Amino acid sequence: MEALTIYLRKINIYHTSPCFAEAGKIRVKARLSDDISEIMPYLNRVVKNANYNEHAPNLTMFKEFRMITLEPENLILIKALNDTDARQVLDWLKDLINETAERKTEIEPLYASKKRPHPLQLYTWLPRINCKQCGEKSCLAFAALLSVGQQSLDRCLPLFTDDYQEQKTVMIDLVDALGHDISNYIDGGV
Amino acid sequence: MAVYFDNAATSYPKPEAVYNAVEYFQRQVGVNPGRGTYQKSREADGIIFDTRSALASLFKISDCSRIVFTSNVTESINLALKGYLIKGSHVITTAMEHNAVWRPLKVLEQGGDITLSLLKCPSGMAFNPEELPELIKKNTALVVINHASNVTGTIMPIEKVGKICRAHNIPLLVDAAQTAGVYPVDVQVMHIDLLAFTGHKALLGPAGTGGLYICEGIDLMPLKEGGTGSESLLEMQPAHLPDRFEAGTLNAPGIAGLGAGVKYILEQGVEKIRQHEIDLTEYALLKLKQFPDIVIYGPQDAPSRTGVISFNFTNIAPEEVTYMFDEVYDIMARSGLHCAPQAHRAIETVELNGTVRISFGVFNTQAEIDFLISALEDLANA
Ligand SMILES: Cc1ncc(COP(=O)(O)O)c(C=O)c1O
Ligand code: SF4
Repeated sequence: MEALTIYLRKINIYHTSPCFAEAGKIRVKARLSDDISEIMPYLNRVVKNANYNEHAPNLTMFKEFRMITLEPENLILIKALNDTDARQVLDWLKDLINETAERKTEIEPLYASKKRPHPLQLYTWLPRINCKQCGEKSCLAFAALLSVGQQSLDRCLPLFTDDYQEQKTVMIDLVDALGHDISNYIDGGV
Repeated sequence: MAVYFDNAATSYPKPEAVYNAVEYFQRQVGVNPGRGTYQKSREADGIIFDTRSALASLFKISDCSRIVFTSNVTESINLALKGYLIKGSHVITTAMEHNAVWRPLKVLEQGGDITLSLLKCPSGMAFNPEELPELIKKNTALVVINHASNVTGTIMPIEKVGKICRAHNIPLLVDAAQTAGVYPVDVQVMHIDLLAFTGHKALLGPAGTGGLYICEGIDLMPLKEGGTGSESLLEMQPAHLPDRFEAGTLNAPGIAGLGAGVKYILEQGVEKIRQHEIDLTEYALLKLKQFPDIVIYGPQDAPSRTGVISFNFTNIAPEEVTYMFDEVYDIMARSGLHCAPQAHRAIETVELNGTVRISFGVFNTQAEIDFLISALEDLANA
């Protein structure tokens, strides 16, 4: 189904380079065919892990481990796996922006910037027993990697036992805000 | 009038958009995708991506990075078989396979790497999927099936096979050389784990294009290692698709043309193309059946087959028929074994030197079939 009014027609990649953030991945710069400033506060509302800065303006968000920084007519995508992956993400983003624009009247724009959970905040809610079952040296190390998307919450096995039910609920909310996929955790747990 | 009835070998002509896309790529883009950081190279990347995502829409594949380009279905099948099968595996296939499946399987079997079991296709009819569970062994690693025979056009019951394979947790590799582009293929509904296709037949692309869809969760060893334009420092082949299986310079002009072919199919609608094929096949079958001296092989009704018809005169050799077609009528059709001796064993035509095969494409017309029939009438009365 073609949308009636297309808000953003095209995202054109104009630069590709190796990613500084992570070896083996790529960083892509692209131009947007249309100015999306007006849609940013709406995206900020619908994308859980989005963070909007009204003054710049810009909006950062995550697609799994990949990070996207949107400006009114430009974007930077980092940590894409390869060219195909980058283009798939940009196709997804274009659809997301167009769908958001189409549903604009139903969405309450959000101008405030949301805070990304700090690694220490994540740490507070972990079991903090340094049992190393997650493969990391300590709960703190695990929290740090979690906050940058390089660990997955379900690797902390103790958290998913009956002893840590309350902590688990809070942690799921926190990683949700970080943009992790939490569908595995809410459908009855791991 | 020249009539082309060899679309099962390769489709001809192609939609105008295909010629234009190849020419545009060669003249206006002309550079390698995935290698550079300059504008034209990114345009090339974009064209490759568009073809990949058009193919994904056609086959209902949700993640287009799971489609890797190859030079034809033969390479796709070799990659799937040699990249997946390990020593000691048992493989189930059919008695109607093209040499593209048959030969690599036979080489693996003769090397002592695998054992084979066959689903029988008596008289070129589709095998009975209920016989599949009886062939499954503890070490059955793969089921390999052509979606439709290139000799008789017989359409195989892929969806039923897919269900059985899923229930037994055995991956299914489908050779869709004869169906991709002309018959609806849905990897989800059909439970296809590995879909091998070629670009130059009903997908309407140029020769030298093809691909393999690799379902998530299936890990293959690459057939070849080399440059991918990504992760160059890595000494091993990159782990991520599609780069893992696309070492070496891609056939970018061909892929550009293939993209135009697939977009043409998506615009027309594969159901509409299939209906056109059924209409032509039904008409041709009806007319051919009026010849008392002609034997038609395989299913006798159009919906059970693609637009491929193999037949023989009881009293004229197939190569003589196609010779006359060519010399006198300018009709292009093929006689012989069509690279599928197995299928000819099934219909018992090896001793006859095969069959006469006519195969329709999206641009064939009923008038062309009438012309063929008048040629056959001349031959029958000679
Ligand atoms: C069923 C089938 N499999 C495989 C092939 C091989 O195709 P290609 O030569 O494009 O690899 C063909 C076509 O000749 C075919 O009809
Ligand atoms: S598994 Fe959980 S509790 Fe154990 S060290 Fe890792 S983060 Fe800490």
